[in-house]
Amino acid sequence: MVPEVDFLLRVAHTLVPRAADAEDLVQDTLLRAYQGIASFDGAHPRAWLLTIMRNAEMNRTRRRRPPLLDDPEEVATVVPVGEASDPETLVVGPVFDAVVEDALGDLPVDARTIVQLVDVEGLTYAEASEALGVPLGTVMSRLHRARARIRGRLTAAGVAPRGKKAAT
Amino acid sequence: MSRWRFWSRRPTADDVAQCHEAGRVLQEYLDGVLDPAAAARVRKHLEACRRCGLEATIYDEIKKSLARRPSAAEPAAVERLRRFAISLAEADGRGTGAPVR
Repeated sequence: MVPEVDFLLRVAHTLVPRAADAEDLVQDTLLRAYQGIASFDGAHPRAWLLTIMRNAEMNRTRRRRPPLLDDPEEVATVVPVGEASDPETLVVGPVFDAVVEDALGDLPVDARTIVQLVDVEGLTYAEASEALGVPLGTVMSRLHRARARIRGRLTAAGVAPRGKKAAT
Repeated sequence: MSRWRFWSRRPTADDVAQCHEAGRVLQEYLDGVLDPAAAARVRKHLEACRRCGLEATIYDEIKKSLARRPSAAEPAAVERLRRFAISLAEADGRGTGAPVR
């Protein structure tokens, strides 16, 4: 389990807002894992640990499941404001990164969490599904819609051309 | 401005259908989760269609930008937790590698 500590902490940071709470959550997860290790068959250790972490987080906060399946989809908050100066111009650099960062922060919490897990921390769809306790299809659809929103913000900021109508 | 400017010739109905299909699975393609045959079809279309190719580039750059963000896991915290995990394993008399069956 020691090799998975870094991975667990990265995931924990997306589940709980404070760094100290994230570390506590991983510690709790490790303790539960060692206590329950007799029941582990040795296959898919990450999925097993993510399930334990998810349950540990729910028990720690004594709240209902993350509202990924409950929250209604929100309407995008940004509307393109005009034509890009050049329909095929894509400007990648510090401004691009800043717009992406800004757009990420403005995503609904469920969408932002999935983007952080998959695109920032590098989890697979399946690992993110396990960490959040939601179906794989939900992870994929929320992730793709979140990226499409980020894409829309890039157009609005003038660093990416207007896109074609996205298929989801 | 003509919407067909991204093609070197007037697109056929099949071209338009391929654009739609590529757009539908574009993100899965970029995430590397499509089966090889589907991925090959998408790749071929992206090489031929400038608009879809540009869209793929934009989404790829979004993924790269997000991947450049620093991980929230601080090295000091990782080290503390590793030592904690080791202490649990040693207290239990187990190794520190893969869990024992």
